Amino acid sequence: MAQLECVNIGKNFGALAALEGVSFQLHDQEILGLIGPNGAGKTTLFNCIIGLEKPTRGKVMFNGTNITGLKPHRICRLGLVKTSQIMEPFKALTVGENVLVGALYGGMLPMKKAFAETERILDFVGLTPEKDKLSSAISVPARRRLELARALATGAKVLLLDENMAGLNPHEIDDALRLLGKIRDLGKSLIVVEHIMRAVMGISDRIIVLNYGVKIAEGLPKDIATDNTVIEAYFGDKKSFLGRSERQISHG
Amino acid sequence: MNKRFNTFLFAFIGLSCGVIAVLPFVTSSEYTLRVATVIIFWIGMAGCWNITSGYTGYIDFGPVVYFGIGSYATAIAMTKYGISFFPAALLAGLASGLIAFPIGLTTLRLRGAYFAIATFAFAETMKQVVLEFDRTFGVSFFQGSHGITLPIGGHENTFFLYSFGLVTLCIILVQGRIENSKFGYGLKAIHEAEGSAEISGVNTTGVKLQAYMTSAIFLGILGGIQSYWITYITPADVFNVHKTVQMVIMTLLGGMGTFLGPVVGAAFLTLLSEILGTAFVEYYLIMVGAIIIAIILVMPRGIIGTLKEATGIRFF
Repeated sequence: MAQLECVNIGKNFGALAALEGVSFQLHDQEILGLIGPNGAGKTTLFNCIIGLEKPTRGKVMFNGTNITGLKPHRICRLGLVKTSQIMEPFKALTVGENVLVGALYGGMLPMKKAFAETERILDFVGLTPEKDKLSSAISVPARRRLELARALATGAKVLLLDENMAGLNPHEIDDALRLLGKIRDLGKSLIVVEHIMRAVMGISDRIIVLNYGVKIAEGLPKDIATDNTVIEAYFGDKKSFLGRSERQISHG
Repeated sequence: MNKRFNTFLFAFIGLSCGVIAVLPFVTSSEYTLRVATVIIFWIGMAGCWNITSGYTGYIDFGPVVYFGIGSYATAIAMTKYGISFFPAALLAGLASGLIAFPIGLTTLRLRGAYFAIATFAFAETMKQVVLEFDRTFGVSFFQGSHGITLPIGGHENTFFLYSFGLVTLCIILVQGRIENSKFGYGLKAIHEAEGSAEISGVNTTGVKLQAYMTSAIFLGILGGIQSYWITYITPADVFNVHKTVQMVIMTLLGGMGTFLGPVVGAAFLTLLSEILGTAFVEYYLIMVGAIIIAIILVMPRGIIGTLKEATGIRFF
């Protein structure tokens, strides 16, 4: 059975249709890449799934239950969590306390267990040395890992990562990719929104492509990379998609 | 850190308890006892504001409304229904807490200045309601601007020192427990980034409402004791926005979001006004104002907040 299933999700903001009938499934222990040009509706789709936005149409099924329209904290406690593109740590709290909030509220653990869980997760993502630093005082890559740690601490089965690798250098991206692999090996499923093609193509089992709120392609990474519709959505003509995407990496 | 904090908290409360208990035996000066009672009263008031606004960052500009509701609940319970003081004061807390539920549920959805405006408006509205209710409906309940005179119990200052002391110590304990509990981490997460808190599983509305109602209950009880102390209440007095401002300034001076902040802020400001007020009767308010501005400029996070930041010690 699919872990997560979106059925015909539509979202309108006034006259603007941000999402027009998006359907897809996320399987157990799968990494699903979600790509598309800026404004394609990727973040809106995430927000509709985790309850920050109410979809205008369609439904979100999680483990066979309809979770459409539930409040974000409820959906989080059911086991569905996202990390934001714009990092918003609890700045005046330490790194450890940031993770603790996820364990206490998302994971619904009692204080003692939540502390133990925090230690375990900080170790897992490699943030133990930063534990007592204020979350406003750590580097960008560490903050990206903190977002992951807070999400993991909620005990979620499904993680939605919204550009969790933005701002990282190629070496840091390799570390981040290894970490995502480790998270999948814990038995979790991930949807990864990413603009860095090398990263998303390398890690994803499957990819879906959004453009102007419509799913225009779905398939294996190698098929997506040569799909004409996708190439047109990104570049407007039929020049080699791979050739251009290499350039994107060196810029990005 | 957890253990050290708790040790510090309980040591502080134990010590305060001892000081309050022996104070009437070491001094025979009624003046000293009265000033001590006023300080303890304001520590409790500022602490109530700190529970909601200090930890969540939601600036409540109408906490005085629950003080006023508590005052009137106590006065009416005692004069109309002949209920004795202690149950009447507890009833006042209950009444304030109950009214805080629908008000919190609606206003806590607002953010920033809008929350401040809404709470301020509610406090002013309640003042008008109490003021005009009797005349509008032709009844004799709140007594309008005439106010209500409470039965005089003939208690000494010590009685009120102990009553306020008990409630204020509870308020301090609640704040201390907030700092290292699940509830406290929820409040602080809301303060720092409400969106992130929400998607990390924090039931933001529920947590904010709990804090808001806790404040309201204690404010109601404080209002009840205060009205019995001064034995005469009017809407203009117990719903006075000046009380709100004082709670805000005291907490800001001491440090928002720390349990010691309201203690230091309230003690400092009350003593300062008292000392300067007797020495410079005409100009003391100008001096108090200047000193407040100076402290906020030098210590923008309040006395305790800035001290915490400078020393890097987080357990007080």
